[in-house]
Amino acid sequence: MSSAPKISRRTILKGIGAAIALPWLESMGPLRAWATATPTPAGGTLIPNRMAFLYVPNGVHMPDWMPTTEGTGFTLPRTLEPLAEVREYLSVLTGLTADKARPHGDGGGDHARAMAAFLTGAQPRKTDGADIRAGVSADQVAASRLAHLTRLASLEIGCDPSAMAGNCDSGYSCVYSSTISWRSATTPVPKVHNPRLVFERLFGNGSDADRARRDRNRQSVLDFVQDEARGLQPHLSGTDRQRLDEYFAAIRDIEQRIARAAQLPEPPRPGMPQPAGVPQSYQEHIRLLCDLVVLAFQADVTRVTTFVLANEGSNRPYPFISVPEGHHDLSHHGNDANKQRKIAMINRFHVSQLAYLLRRLRETREGDGNLLDHCMVVYGSGNSDGNRHNHDDLPILLAGRGCGTVRSGRHLRFPRETPLNNLWVSMLDRMECNIESLGDSTGRLPGLM
Amino acid sequence: MRLRYLWGVVLLVAAGFGWSLLPRADAQAGKTDPKMAAAAVAFDKVIVPFVARHCVACHGPEKKKANLALHTYKDVHALLKGRKVWTHVVQMIHAGEMPPQGRPQPTVEEAEAFQKAVLDLFAAADQGKRDPGKVTMRRLNRAEYKNTIRDLVGVDFDPTEDFPADDVGYGFDNIGDVLTISPVLMERYLAAAEAVMKRAIIVGELPPAPKRQRIAIFLEPPLRPFKEKTRFRPLTDGKDYLGATYKITGEGDYIAKVRVYGETVGKEPVKLAIFVNDREQKVQEVKEAKEFAARFYDAKVALKPGDTKVSVKIVNPQTEGDKKRTLWVNQIQLEGPLDTRPPSQKKILAHKTGAGKDDAAREILGRFASKAYRRPATKDEVERLVQIVRQVEKNGDKWEAGVQLALQAVLCSPKFLFRVELDDRPDSPAAHPLTDYQLASRLSYFLWNTMPDDELFALAAKNELHRNLDAQVRRMLKDEKASSLTESFLTQWLQLRLLKNVSPDKKLFPDFDEPLRAAMLKETQLCFDAIVREDRSILELIDSNYTYLNERLGRHYGITDTNGNGWPRKGKPGDFLPRDKFVKVTLQDRQRGGVLTQASVLTITSNPTRTSPVKRGKWVLEQILGTPPPPPPPNVPELEEKGQLTGSLRERMEQHRKNVACANCHARMDPMGFAFENFDAIGKFRSKDGNFAIDPSGTLPSGQSFKGPGELKQILLSKKDLFTRALAEKLLTYALGRGLEYYDKPAVDRIVAQVAKSDYRFSALVVEITRSDPFRMRRGKDDVQ
Repeated sequence: MSSAPKISRRTILKGIGAAIALPWLESMGPLRAWATATPTPAGGTLIPNRMAFLYVPNGVHMPDWMPTTEGTGFTLPRTLEPLAEVREYLSVLTGLTADKARPHGDGGGDHARAMAAFLTGAQPRKTDGADIRAGVSADQVAASRLAHLTRLASLEIGCDPSAMAGNCDSGYSCVYSSTISWRSATTPVPKVHNPRLVFERLFGNGSDADRARRDRNRQSVLDFVQDEARGLQPHLSGTDRQRLDEYFAAIRDIEQRIARAAQLPEPPRPGMPQPAGVPQSYQEHIRLLCDLVVLAFQADVTRVTTFVLANEGSNRPYPFISVPEGHHDLSHHGNDANKQRKIAMINRFHVSQLAYLLRRLRETREGDGNLLDHCMVVYGSGNSDGNRHNHDDLPILLAGRGCGTVRSGRHLRFPRETPLNNLWVSMLDRMECNIESLGDSTGRLPGLM
Repeated sequence: MRLRYLWGVVLLVAAGFGWSLLPRADAQAGKTDPKMAAAAVAFDKVIVPFVARHCVACHGPEKKKANLALHTYKDVHALLKGRKVWTHVVQMIHAGEMPPQGRPQPTVEEAEAFQKAVLDLFAAADQGKRDPGKVTMRRLNRAEYKNTIRDLVGVDFDPTEDFPADDVGYGFDNIGDVLTISPVLMERYLAAAEAVMKRAIIVGELPPAPKRQRIAIFLEPPLRPFKEKTRFRPLTDGKDYLGATYKITGEGDYIAKVRVYGETVGKEPVKLAIFVNDREQKVQEVKEAKEFAARFYDAKVALKPGDTKVSVKIVNPQTEGDKKRTLWVNQIQLEGPLDTRPPSQKKILAHKTGAGKDDAAREILGRFASKAYRRPATKDEVERLVQIVRQVEKNGDKWEAGVQLALQAVLCSPKFLFRVELDDRPDSPAAHPLTDYQLASRLSYFLWNTMPDDELFALAAKNELHRNLDAQVRRMLKDEKASSLTESFLTQWLQLRLLKNVSPDKKLFPDFDEPLRAAMLKETQLCFDAIVREDRSILELIDSNYTYLNERLGRHYGITDTNGNGWPRKGKPGDFLPRDKFVKVTLQDRQRGGVLTQASVLTITSNPTRTSPVKRGKWVLEQILGTPPPPPPPNVPELEEKGQLTGSLRERMEQHRKNVACANCHARMDPMGFAFENFDAIGKFRSKDGNFAIDPSGTLPSGQSFKGPGELKQILLSKKDLFTRALAEKLLTYALGRGLEYYDKPAVDRIVAQVAKSDYRFSALVVEITRSDPFRMRRGKDDVQ
């Protein structure tokens, strides 16, 4: 984080495509060097890399998750079976640890910590209210560095609204168990759960002419309110000033987006009508959001997204797959085989939704390959076994080939206690966002290529 | 008990005595004050031995683990200087985190004595201090924003559905410290301001006035026999009429119209009279003599909302031979109101006639901004708004469009979106009273979830609000807007918002449906409403002999009428419960009275397939008694080591509880939870759980025992002070929008004492909260830093 490397577009060349990705070795240094060193053939279109993070709560039933053999040619375990069709795009990564999700003297609250530490690798501060603190999340590192390239720096979505009633987990504010994206250590990024609003955020809601006029009016309003806010500063102290700083930051963010919208080409109108709202069915809700992710990547509206399938500690029942019990309740299975079977059923349901997303990405042609060739989709949880609340040996999948920077179709096992954040740092390299470290990372994750 | 002040605030507590600029009597008084003296004795007798026995081996001269050397705190003053450290120590002991497993453990009594000694010392040091705390400026949450827009702009429109959910702190969604503002939200604010103002002010062409029309065959009096093809109906007799009745909702000018032609006899043309509500409006001659020439005749009339009858008569009937002078009527219309500007537009854009554009803008924007900012707008603020209007006009748009944009700007200003308490001494830690305008806002958002009304503004303008506080609070509690206490406070305090998302297993609970879900919530809300509106005792929340039911919920409870009878009815019959509304029901036993045994609470504290006595017990401890159990220790030992548990839920739980690590807290939670086992996971009465008979009796750690929920409620009623304190703390948290701190204790003590003196009436609780220092005063400078 300390050095701020020059930002250059992470690209590959249309003429080359992912199918014949150039070999890249970590010893060759940052990917950026390779990308910028490669000459652009005439007429070649640059295809960017993207990253998506899908989060599932309460861990998984590991015996049904982990392949028994390493390397290529492993047998898909039961929970991963729905991914058979896209298995050549999968990297199953085992042995990774989210150490900062552990108590370290803070007592209970493993769900809250699991989620808050997942992308940040930072120990969330145990507080029920004020003084929230975790760390910058991997997606937001990429978002802030790639912001100038797309209309939207990042997209944060999920199926549950961000906050829930009450203190959510043993003295941790609800924000921890409902947010994986953190713009800064103290600024959680709320997620949008209504597909209609996600669509609006991606593609706007009105004609271009309307938008230009509206943006001009908005700029006048923003100029005015910034003056107002400046006038308040001398009369405020401490936490009030913090609130005002957030206000300024929000205003600046919108101004930048207005400015980018004026510079960047209009994204193609998606071949899908604006969704009406939140579908009744959970599966449809997930799939609709998946469709929007595909659209966003396809139209290059954003290159970074996080998608929370359910808030951490979710007690959602799954009656439509014959699991009427609450998920969290079940996850404390006490090694009851019946409960474990049901947990595995829920896991399989979630993985089926991932399969849907990956299939859709693969079906979408781009350059000489498809979108999945040009993506890195992470799927996982900050808890391993929901019963033990352990945060080592996490269930983590990486799908996609990241523009030829990931050799997929393998099961990789890493030494115990390998920080999950090493994976994030390695992925950020592949987004042209080289940073020395993030949270508790200790280096790069070897062997992805 | 005092421990509760630590929960949730531990990390915030003053960094040592960082706020030592406050007047402090304790340092000197320490030597003579009896409480301080007692604390000093306890330091030697309790704290030092405890630390020596359990702590210094790791946190002492040799090891200093976690950089902690507790032996260096030699006396009470040293300990008070390290208040933050010692608060944390107490927390760790309380949570059972320390001493760590494998080290000798203190007894429960020993640990409690230690905690009490430390906290008593803090309390002794805090005596006589006056610190109202500091509220972080609060962003309007969704409910507040929606209500404020309603009252400020007067449009019936809810833009907040698209807002991201507000974060929750200390159990409520109106806490300044956690109400952050994100780019997504700011974008929604911009969009909402646009949407609101688009509805409030119509800049372009106004919509046409609504038209109501009735054709001949449907006019009164009805046609007998009914002939479908009668396009025109005749009027020949001066006593006859043809008319139509319309229901109108808007006040204003209307036009009544009739489409006719006339066949006359003699020299005079046919004359008609239009009547509105049987008052003659206008007599007109009808010259058109043929059907194809028929045309409209009209009359303008001012109307009020309600049923409006428009009718027409022939004024000059005449018969010559077998021919009659005839008015042929084709249809009657009523158009209006003619002024189609929205009422909000008339209200917001009202200004002195003849004023120039800038002066008009000044008047309009000054008035609007003063309400939106909840204090008089300054000249400078208004001028900058007028600039926006000028700019828009310069761009070639209408003046109205400029005013509209300026109004949008007001709605996006931090002065509107945040409840700013502008302080002329932001860096002064000394307590000072709020200004009257600030107090007005605190009151109205506390009791109404919206901006102050005209009366509060008027008192604030005269600086008379502080003086009229009690009277205003009582007035406000009687206002309909006080229902926000139910909507926002009650549903969060009792966690009823969870009800929206519970999904009981359809196979096990086929009875559960949406009407039942809605009825559950309504019952609890109505009971609380009654306590607010009728100023009843808050103790009725624990136990009462009445409740509110509709037929659906009554069926769930096995109650059929307002006298609480089942079926067949055994007692004096009352009225049957209606399907479409809730009625007050007098209960025959104490099974259902009070919130603890209402289906809403019983359902939210259950799992989808079964009850959870632990959740129910925890809920009572947390929400009703304000004594939450500490969170479960990390790494709870595995149950499976002991093999499968068998027997009834209670038997299984009791096996679970044999585990020493769990026993202490579960001994507090479980008996309370089991008292409600007669109610299943959706709150329906049952005497068996599967094959097991239910035993709702239990014994609390205090030794008090009960046979079932009725007796447990009586035990809870005997803990009046605990309950009152719990409710007072929750309501004060909600009122202030911040978590309570140790320095709020004197205020809470006073509130609890006063409420007890006033027969526990709800209004006393509210009045005492608004009178308290933390509510009426403020100081600058945060103590976190």
